Amino acid sequence: MSRTSRIGRREARTGLQGGGRAAPVRIVIWVVLIGMALYILAPLAFMVTASFMPARDVMRMPYPWISGSFYWQNFWQAIRGNDGHFMYARAILNSVIVATAITASTALLATLTGYGLAKFRFKGRRAVLLLILGTMMVPFQAIMIPLYMTVTKMGLQDSYAGLIVPFLINAFGVFLMRQYLLTFPDEMLDAARIDGAGELQIFFRVIIPNSWPAIATLSILTFRSQWDNLIWPLLVVQSEEMKTIPVHITRFAAEKFTDEGAMMAAAVIASLPMVILFFALAKYFVGGAKLFAARKG
Amino acid sequence: MRAKGKRASGMERRRARWGWAFVLPSLAFFGLFSFYPIFNAFYTSLFKQKLLSLAPPEYIGLGNYTYLLHSPTFWNSVRATAIFTACTFVLLVGVSLLLAAFIVSRKRVQKTLQMVFFSPAVVSSVVAAAVWLLIFDPRGLGNQVVNGIMQTPGVDHKWLASATMLQLSTVLVYFWKYVGYFTIIFIAGLASIPATLHEAARIDGAGSWQSFWKVSFPLLKPTIVLVSVMAMIQCLRTFSTQYVFYQAGAPRGPIDVIAFGIYNTAIRDHQIGRASAMSVILFCIMLFLSWMQFRVSRSDDVSYL
Repeated sequence: MSRTSRIGRREARTGLQGGGRAAPVRIVIWVVLIGMALYILAPLAFMVTASFMPARDVMRMPYPWISGSFYWQNFWQAIRGNDGHFMYARAILNSVIVATAITASTALLATLTGYGLAKFRFKGRRAVLLLILGTMMVPFQAIMIPLYMTVTKMGLQDSYAGLIVPFLINAFGVFLMRQYLLTFPDEMLDAARIDGAGELQIFFRVIIPNSWPAIATLSILTFRSQWDNLIWPLLVVQSEEMKTIPVHITRFAAEKFTDEGAMMAAAVIASLPMVILFFALAKYFVGGAKLFAARKG
Repeated sequence: MRAKGKRASGMERRRARWGWAFVLPSLAFFGLFSFYPIFNAFYTSLFKQKLLSLAPPEYIGLGNYTYLLHSPTFWNSVRATAIFTACTFVLLVGVSLLLAAFIVSRKRVQKTLQMVFFSPAVVSSVVAAAVWLLIFDPRGLGNQVVNGIMQTPGVDHKWLASATMLQLSTVLVYFWKYVGYFTIIFIAGLASIPATLHEAARIDGAGSWQSFWKVSFPLLKPTIVLVSVMAMIQCLRTFSTQYVFYQAGAPRGPIDVIAFGIYNTAIRDHQIGRASAMSVILFCIMLFLSWMQFRVSRSDDVSYL
């Protein structure tokens, strides 16, 4: 047997990217991958199918995956609520208002601060940067009680302001925008200055339009985390009218005789904006995860 | 010459002012909504203070801390958090690393599988908890699947009733939600390892198993440590799943994780001082972990040669 062919044969059956593994290994890999895929997808499929079933089918044994029924009344029931006050519709509106306001302000303020830290030299810049990044180490759960007392003292409990104000900007956003803007070409800024543009003008006309990828990633991360926020609304909201989606859905879970079909319909509705964002902007979604990894740099 | 220099420094000073102007609004914000609450937490933790009470807070020094150290509820919280974090963290890091290695080896379906595993990211944690709540119902899919696999028809595994199963249930939900996220981080880490190294290993006669353990794994170590600390920090903050399950009637003890404990102490028991002391303890633990993360990230300049 010649040496070349031996290497050739080895090449054929090795390598991480490799095609021809030994059959048992390949089977194990596929079993694990398919098993995990089922574990991941089954609850999502359950949520969607159950949202179109009457409650008695949702809890039938065995679960009728394809029941053929199209019980759209669940969605009406979820939105209307048991008492007919349309509180879920109100919760959706609240969530949209709060998450949108926070996303917009975070995008603007984080870009502004990131720009200031990346492109301007001033005394104390390093200290400011460290101070802001330091707040990334503060878990929200550790400051929520004092924060709650502050917000109450300001008279903002049970209001949009109370829901929005503590999240107007976050340190990770500043960090992200600063990293992104560090590589922004100075020539563009100087050219604009020579053309007589003011600093604010430069920020709005040059920086913002040229930072879309970073702003989009930050916006998605921010919107998603606010859409998901349960603990803060639980603290500051007292009235039914101010409840956000997560608070409303926990109420479904808390009810003794809850309508499971309507509960899943509510869950589907709550997930729709994220699903749309996910399919429209998947690369920013995944990019967010990778950025998180890049945080080490 | 002199005039020019003066003008330049004047411009520089003007630029510096603009820099401050851009930074100042957020700095004021962080002062009010991050730093002030931390100091306030330290301060309040030294007082016996009741929520909604008009009585002035009474200074008790470290009284809240000594109370917590002798409180079985607090230690139960610590235990519940430790169990949850340890289980979730081991599962998350181990399985997502394995999945990343497997997915990368199946180039043709890599994109699809990445999307599949990442898909729970689109549902919020409360929605995830609500869906799994129905799965863990005695009549739900959880029992059906387990009984189907173990050939034990009609057994109720008490997902939300027995202490151990309840803890396992919360771990399963959390793991379900985040495994894809960490898998993608690992895939990014694997992708950053130059293919030439694998080729070199192959030429030296390494099998794919060896190639993974001897080449990828050591080079991935910094990513693994980083992901571990990140996963741990994430797990320590868990709240939603436990809260939803408790609202649905599950016992609180086994899933009374620390964030949930803080919430209960402050809102249900009205013990603001005590809740602040718990916050300070959580803060210190997290600070230690973040410091570790920082240390690790500084020392992870991997050289591929």
